[in-house]
Amino acid sequence: MATAANSPVKGWRGRVFAATGFLFLAVFMMFIVLLIIADIFYINKKAVLTVLTSGFIRHALWMSVWTSCVTTFLSLLFAVPVGYVLSRFQFPGRILADTIVDLPIVFPPLVAGLTLLVFFSQTAIGKWVQEDLGLEFVFQPKGIVLCQFLVAASFAIRSTKTAFDDVDRRFERVALTLGCTPWGSFRRVSLPLALNGIIAGGILTWARAFGLFGPLMIFVGSFRGRTEVLSTTVFLEQSVGNLEVALAVALLLIFVALVALLVIRLVGGKALVKL
Amino acid sequence: MIRTDQLSFNIGDFELGSLSLEVGEGQYFALLGPPGSGKSVFLECICGLKRIKSGHIYIDGRDVTGLEPRRRDIGYVPQDYALFPHLSVKQNIEFGLRACGDGRESLFSKVEQIVEMLEIGHLLKRRINGLSGGEKQCVALARALVLQPKVLLLDEPVCALDEATRQKICVLLRRVQRQLGLTTIHVSHNLEEAFSVADQAAILHRGTLQQVGVLNELLRKPKNEFVARFMRCENIFCGEVISQDAQASNTLVQFGDLQFQLSGQYHGTIKFIIRPEDVLIFPESRYDDKDENKFRLNLSWWRHYGSYIRVELDGSFELVAHLPHAEFAGLKAESGRNVTVVLRPEDFHVLGE
Repeated sequence: MATAANSPVKGWRGRVFAATGFLFLAVFMMFIVLLIIADIFYINKKAVLTVLTSGFIRHALWMSVWTSCVTTFLSLLFAVPVGYVLSRFQFPGRILADTIVDLPIVFPPLVAGLTLLVFFSQTAIGKWVQEDLGLEFVFQPKGIVLCQFLVAASFAIRSTKTAFDDVDRRFERVALTLGCTPWGSFRRVSLPLALNGIIAGGILTWARAFGLFGPLMIFVGSFRGRTEVLSTTVFLEQSVGNLEVALAVALLLIFVALVALLVIRLVGGKALVKL
Repeated sequence: MIRTDQLSFNIGDFELGSLSLEVGEGQYFALLGPPGSGKSVFLECICGLKRIKSGHIYIDGRDVTGLEPRRRDIGYVPQDYALFPHLSVKQNIEFGLRACGDGRESLFSKVEQIVEMLEIGHLLKRRINGLSGGEKQCVALARALVLQPKVLLLDEPVCALDEATRQKICVLLRRVQRQLGLTTIHVSHNLEEAFSVADQAAILHRGTLQQVGVLNELLRKPKNEFVARFMRCENIFCGEVISQDAQASNTLVQFGDLQFQLSGQYHGTIKFIIRPEDVLIFPESRYDDKDENKFRLNLSWWRHYGSYIRVELDGSFELVAHLPHAEFAGLKAESGRNVTVVLRPEDFHVLGE
């Protein structure tokens, strides 16, 4: 961490340089905070009470939290091996594989939902999964996780790959001469050294999954008490004219996200200090 | 013992070509060469970190060519040590034992033994980031030695250290190697370092072994111009043999307008050297143009190099000499002053192709 004692002596140019950076930071933060303040001033006591007492909204909050957590877990489960393979191994078609992994990042949200809907309702494989295997995703709570996974897993993979890229291969190679198998070298050296980037990937994935809206509306819909999550609640409330309630739900969503991100950063930060 | 038999490796344009080398039991061997010559690659091939194209590697009489690095019984200290930054010093040293599944008691006694030998007990609880270069070197060495390997492979182990620490670590390396009787290969590009630790050495250039032998032999009798230059011999001449004295076993060589008398019988065009420390310099009054191998040269520049003085001479040809301080003081040298230079026939060495 940079402190006054270990930072270099600054002349006026240095101070202007630092001040410029801080100015941009302040403008951006102000922009976000002002938007939230505007929302806070718009809502009323009745809207807050509705949000706090409605069973449907509590259910939507619970759905948002658990689905995004499951999605993050699944994404990291894929991200660690995929990121490691893309970072460490040279194979034919590696660039193509790397590009395909990134593709969901640039999917327009509606396209992701439509694609999933078409796959599971129109193709033989999709129908087999839904009907024969009994894994129903379309308009089902399980579909929320699948939708979030499709859109958010790429963020986890990208971060994890970058984290493994940053781990000097010499460490792994030395571990091999010290009695480790390739798996041992990965588990004892690469994984702990890449933990920082993996945690960052997890944060991005969770945040993306938690706020997802577009694909969910198409693939799972927004059925009260079943497939409704906070982001779709906002849409439902505003579409029936309850703008105050919609904004109150939006603020709840922002508050939960803020707390979750802070906790992950602090816990992740402690883990990193231990490194 | 370490033996490589016709070891070949290539990556991109670089190739290690058919290297056959034998390092005897308990020997401290220096592998020398300029940066990019393939020293580290060769070491990594022995470690099993690089897959060789052809040939065989034997460690302690066992063919380890196809074995994984962990099955080769090697202790490897890479360049810049590669200590694990997420572990403490103690955890770094224990790393190999834990990876091999050593029991708690055995682990404790082995670590204690090696820590005592290297006198690093005070570092055990420290983190890697706070260690000095010398301390890191000791920890890396402890991490490699705790597994009780058959051979020790050191890749530029002291190149990042200051002069004083480098000497200290070299003494330590030599002491530990003798104490454990470990066959050791020490990769370096530094001649002083090699002299301070090694019994024998090899010089590598562009993936090819140039010469193998005891260090003094490499110094006095280099096989070719590259080895001569690597051993810091600057007095390299090329001349034509004009006559031979079979009785005296001498050869007269024409070099420009000058003639040199060399010990030995040679033919045709030859390249020959004289070590800077073999150049004898006397005051100008000792000059006599009838004497063989006696020349008058101009003392153009000199500089103190710690234990000796490097003197540059020019005139009819250029020459570099290394003189002891007392001898140089006796010359009462001044820049631009003429001196008499004597080159003894037996001090010349003729280079091969």
